[in-house]
Amino acid sequence: MHLDGLSAAQIAAGVAAGEFSATEVARASLDAIASNEPRVQAFLQVSADLALEAAARIDARRAAKQELGVLAGVPVAFKDNMNLVGTRTTCASRMLGGYESTYTATCVRRLLDADAIPMGKTNMDEFAFGSSTESSAFYPTRNPWDASRVPGGSSGGSAAAVASGEVPLSLGSDTGGSIRQPAAFCGVVGMKPTYGVVSRYGVVAFGSSLDQVGPLGRTVSDVALAMNALVADGRDKLDSTSQDFRVNFLSQLDKLVEGMRVGVIPRLMEHQSLSVEVRQGMEVAQRALGEQGIELVEVELPNMASAIAAYYVIGPAEAFSNLARFDGVRFGYREPGCATLAEQTALSRAHGFGAEAKRRQMLGAYLLASGVYQTYYYPAQQVRTLITDDYRAAFERCDAILLPVTPTVAWHFGEVSDPTQMYAADLFTISCNIAGNCGISVPVGLGADSGMPLAAQLQGPAFFDHKLLRIAHALERGLASNGDTPLCLSGGERA
Amino acid sequence: MALTKDDVRGIADYARIALTEQELDQMHAYLNEAIQMLEPIRQYDLDGVEPTFHPIGGLRNVMADDQPDANGRALGVDEVLRNAAVRQGRLFCVPSILGVCLEENDGAS
Repeated sequence: MHLDGLSAAQIAAGVAAGEFSATEVARASLDAIASNEPRVQAFLQVSADLALEAAARIDARRAAKQELGVLAGVPVAFKDNMNLVGTRTTCASRMLGGYESTYTATCVRRLLDADAIPMGKTNMDEFAFGSSTESSAFYPTRNPWDASRVPGGSSGGSAAAVASGEVPLSLGSDTGGSIRQPAAFCGVVGMKPTYGVVSRYGVVAFGSSLDQVGPLGRTVSDVALAMNALVADGRDKLDSTSQDFRVNFLSQLDKLVEGMRVGVIPRLMEHQSLSVEVRQGMEVAQRALGEQGIELVEVELPNMASAIAAYYVIGPAEAFSNLARFDGVRFGYREPGCATLAEQTALSRAHGFGAEAKRRQMLGAYLLASGVYQTYYYPAQQVRTLITDDYRAAFERCDAILLPVTPTVAWHFGEVSDPTQMYAADLFTISCNIAGNCGISVPVGLGADSGMPLAAQLQGPAFFDHKLLRIAHALERGLASNGDTPLCLSGGERA
Repeated sequence: MALTKDDVRGIADYARIALTEQELDQMHAYLNEAIQMLEPIRQYDLDGVEPTFHPIGGLRNVMADDQPDANGRALGVDEVLRNAAVRQGRLFCVPSILGVCLEENDGAS
């Protein structure tokens, strides 16, 4: 069999009905991986043995007439900052090159409990620092639409694996746009749930008050299906920030959207950084939403321009604290032949971390230094309050806000080499993390000149993820009825 | 006020990252550029604005019962030591912490 065009929901239904076995699906995914990987390099590790074992267990349970989970036989890939026993978890860093997971992350566990098949671990920017997957210590992932372009990042491997048809679903993590931006670059749907909705237990921490795990898939309904599995058991007591948010996202998708309101920010729609193609994509999205009976209203987020500054204080400060654990003693790269512990620590970190990981930690170390803290860190957290209040005011007038995901389509390798220039491209995604709200990237078509995927972003208030998905689904429906959305690379049809 | 290269050397020492001279030069340029980007933060009048350190307010410490994890989540010693580069029996190995040999120091104080 071939996976081409089959949605996660179709696979789960087919396996449950016995139309094909989980083992056949796993083998089809392995075949797709084998044929695509030489070009795309989405995976750091393919867990063929784990996949076939899991598939055999599912098939045996079906043969015994036991009930199967909502992701029965669905091949999934996990970003390589998520622990899974039986795999290495490297964060695409030399620091963790040989690290073997000793326990399994809750987000991974919940997909496997829903009978998903673990196909492997996907490439990323080192420790999730980046927007292109170029900072992986091992190799870059290429955009499946054009191998001379980046897939975005930091969850670039998870986006490329879905876009190239290797798996129908994957998990990524989003600290400042790291799910939504690669989803946009690769033409798939990517969701950052509200902070606290998905457990962070077992996910290597970058910015602990910003990080959130979420699904990437080809359609909004597949993403909603994965969300159902992620929240199925409620609050995870192994993560003190985890919230009980058990909602059937799938059953909410087709509820009426007529009369719902989506906010647009005229100033941002005309932002100087936006390419002509991205502007056109935003117009397509507005039209599709309007045709679904959604009212577009003007809103304002006055402090959004400062979000990048606030983010590049808070993110590096939290990253520096989190990455202090890498000292070469308990795990991670250890510099051989050092005379003292201090020397071993400094050299292990110097040679284990890549350039961007060192930059972020140096920036964080500076910002947390005594005397500097009051100048940047504390005010950044006050600006965070202003940004959060802006959203609160805007969401009194609308159910979601429509934004671009990125200023441009996926860029070519090496095109953006200056770190701060790359940071600036996070403009439209990071404020969502700062406020802890939910956001989703939905493909809206292909650029007329570049031929690359275009996307629209919807952001919703905290713990209204179900409404956000409903509006995203309406957007998708509106696009489909206009014939604007043929975004499937491997020949199948989008649902 | 821009950072000097000596400032950057001090930060690297504090961050426990041994940078080469060439890396120090690059980091020096980067940090000053990055700090420039943070300037909007300093332009605000933030009198009376409460900080938001975390999107979920009211976080509290969650303490487990002081007994072995009934679900077997507590890792065995071998599991804990599995990823250590150097171990000895049930222990992680580290080089000298003070960087001096006790014998050499004998009677010195």
